[in-house]
Order: sequence, then structure tokens, then C-alpha cells
Amino acid sequence: MSAKGSPAASRRKGLTLTDVLVTVVVSLVLGVVYHVWASVSSIAGLLFIQSDELVYGMWFAASTLAFLLIRKPGVALIAEIAAAHLEIAFGSAYGIQLLLYSVLQGLAAELIFAAFRYRNTSAVVAGLAGVAAAAGSLLADIYYGYVTEYATWVIVLKYSLRAISSFVIAGWLMYGLAKLLERAGVTQSLRPVDRKEYDALDG
Amino acid sequence: MKRFFEPDRKTWLHRSNPALKLAVFVGLFVWTVLTHRIDASFYLACLFLLLLFFASGYPLWKTALLASGFALAFASASVTMILFGKGSEIWWSWGPVSISKESFYRGLHLGFRSIAFGCQGLLFVLTTTSTGLFYALMQRVRLSPKYAYSFMASIRLLPMALEELRIRRDALAVRGAGGKKGASRLLQMPELYALPLLAQSIRRAQRTAAAMEVKRFDAGRRRTYYYDSPVTKYDAGAFLVMLAAVLAAALLAQNLPIFELGDMRMNP
Repeated sequence: MSAKGSPAASRRKGLTLTDVLVTVVVSLVLGVVYHVWASVSSIAGLLFIQSDELVYGMWFAASTLAFLLIRKPGVALIAEIAAAHLEIAFGSAYGIQLLLYSVLQGLAAELIFAAFRYRNTSAVVAGLAGVAAAAGSLLADIYYGYVTEYATWVIVLKYSLRAISSFVIAGWLMYGLAKLLERAGVTQSLRPVDRKEYDALDG
Repeated sequence: MKRFFEPDRKTWLHRSNPALKLAVFVGLFVWTVLTHRIDASFYLACLFLLLLFFASGYPLWKTALLASGFALAFASASVTMILFGKGSEIWWSWGPVSISKESFYRGLHLGFRSIAFGCQGLLFVLTTTSTGLFYALMQRVRLSPKYAYSFMASIRLLPMALEELRIRRDALAVRGAGGKKGASRLLQMPELYALPLLAQSIRRAQRTAAAMEVKRFDAGRRRTYYYDSPVTKYDAGAFLVMLAAVLAAALLAQNLPIFELGDMRMNP
């Protein structure tokens, strides 16, 4: 990699293959979690009407976790698409619609991170991104599942539970996991480096 | 897994270009989403079920096994709408549940649509390999190679992650760690499983990516490809067959309606 000339300028802009591969692999590991989570979700669904929405936020976790680790534009969207791609690669019948859902959800999360100029990596912003992804899924649900035709109280219950769960799981929980990974020392080499850190080296 | 998902014979759908096929199937998805009449969605489900059996190139029993999952998809798509949907002509109501004529047929309509979606999706994944799709996307729609090769490489990294999960579980069992039961065990999961698995996978991904960058897998313009991904007559064939299928469904719904109901939404 040192053969690439001045790494400082070129590596900060855009995503490198390393960024993309790490993002895809983070989603992939979460994809394994998703398979376990599907049964958690069906057990949670037995509690009360629409109670499976309590754990729904996990489906948006890939985008926030990948962003919290890599902190670059575009990562949240790629993470969502990678999770959908895993389903296609392993023969899920609903791969194509998951792909379209994932694009909407990823773009919505991406919008929140962009609104904070990709600099704010607090738990609250991650939570907001999760809620935005939930809103993206609502938009898809309106066309796909006619959810606006449910009785009003069902709509309110379903989507407020989903929003809360997205904030907690995709936001707080993933923030905590990213902090754990930071402490384990895996993240230093992933993140874009600031100008002033290079200046510190020069000085 | 790999053995199971290997077709017996190659059909015209296997031979058509995966990138163009993806576009055709996204088009089909949009068409199906915009189908609001139950007769049309019923015939779409029937015709694509037929196509699935004839064009996927898999033996009958395998296709039937895969398609049996649609029963569950049908139920999960329709039940909530049937029980909690809006409607004026109430058939039965009990507590929060109220089944009306409108919500009942709307639920069935959603069920038929989910079968149509499932058939289309299965038809795509059964006739397309991941590698073929990404080579086609690089050559036909100029997807940047760094994305294509990352996605392809990740498929190879998955078995390692699964192996590590197994080892981790065994190791914890041998050490007698994580003996807690119930909710507190669930709270330990991130630290016991997610952290080590993610850390290992991220480090491995970084090493793999460094090797791939050195070998110029991310080089953009003027590169050659190991697999060629041309556009052939099969693409025209695939497009025409899918077009014929949706037109046939629309015609059948028009001339041979079964339910004879209008738009399934309350206020279209």
C-alpha cells in the first residue's frame, strides 16, 4: 500500500476496497446474528399483538454499526445492501424485495449521518439513524403491505414499537458494541485519519 | 448447501445475462407492487408458480420443497390484515379483532402477492450465481470492481465466521463460562459472542483486503475479466417471457375474473 504515493490525501477521500470489504464482512457477521434473531423475533411475537416489533431494530443494526466503526459516507448504505445480498446468495425467495427495502433503509440512515456531516458518532445520532431506517421501512411497507389499511391503533402501535426498538438496538446497543470493539483495538486502523494527526507526526 | 442449490439442467434463464435479468426482475417486482386487484394478483401468483416449476431447471421435488415455504409467507402476509384491517362490512368481531369483507379479501390479495414475489425471487436466485451477477454488473453497468470483488470475497469469508462461532460456543462450554440463565445470559451475548466474532472477522477482512489491493483487485478502468458476460438472445427471450407472463395475468384477470372485486385499497 505504501507504493500508492501520498497516502494522506488519497486515502481520506471515498471508500477503499478495505473499507468496503470490512463493511460487507461486518454485515455478514450480523447476517449470522439475523438468523438467530429470526427465532428471537418469533418468540417475542407471542407476547401481545405486534410485539415482535420490540426486537425489530436489529434488522437495521448493520448500517449503524458499520458507520460507527468506519465513519465514512456510503458505509451505512453498503452495509444494508450487503445484508440483503447475503440472503440472495443463500437462496432466499425474498432476496429481491429485501434488496429494495435495504436500499431505502440504508439511504434513510445515511441521510441522518449526512445531516451531522459524518462527524457525530454519538449513541443518539446512531439511534436517530436507526429510527430513520425504520421510517424507510415504513415507506416500503405502505406499498408492499398496505399498512395504512390497518386499523389506526395497530399502525400507531406497530410503528412506535419499531421506532423505539430501532433507537435502542440499532442505536444504543450498536454504540456499546462499537465501544467494545474500540477497546479491543480493532478500530484504529479502520477510521479516516485527521489532518492534525499527520501534522502531529510532522511536528 | 452447495450441492442442493445446483440445477439439474440449464434453462434459458440460466443463460441470460444476470445484470439484465436483475433489471427485469426488479421491473417485475415493481409491477407486482402496483397490482391492486385481487384477480390480477391471483393470476400472477399462479403463472409465476408455473414458471418457477418449468424454468428453474430444478427437479420437481426440490422446487416443491422450496415452494412449500410460500404457505407460511401467505399466512404471515394475510393474517394481520384479515384480523386488523379496516373495513365497513363486518363479518365477525371480538375484542380488538374485527374481520370485515374488505379486510378479508385484502388479506388474501396480500397473500397472493407474497406468493408472486416469492416465485419471482426464487426464480432469480435459483438461476443466478453470485459470481455471475457481480461479473455482469461490472461489465454491463460499470459497477466499480472494489464493490464487486468485496461482495464476492465476503461469501468466501462466511464459512470461517460460522466455524469460529462453533469453536467459540464449544470453548465457552468447555470452560464452563456463561453459566447464567435467562435474561442475564442474553445480556452477556454481545461480549461473549459478538465481540470476538466481529473482531476476528474485521481483522481477517483487513488482511484479505490488503492482499487484494496489492493485487489490484480495485483497479478501475481498462481491466480484463476472468468471466465474459455478454448480452445474448436469451436476454431477449427472458424479457419476452416475463412480459408475456404479466400480460397474460392481466388479460386473465380481465376476462376470467374469480373474485370480481375492484381495487383492494380503501382510498386508492
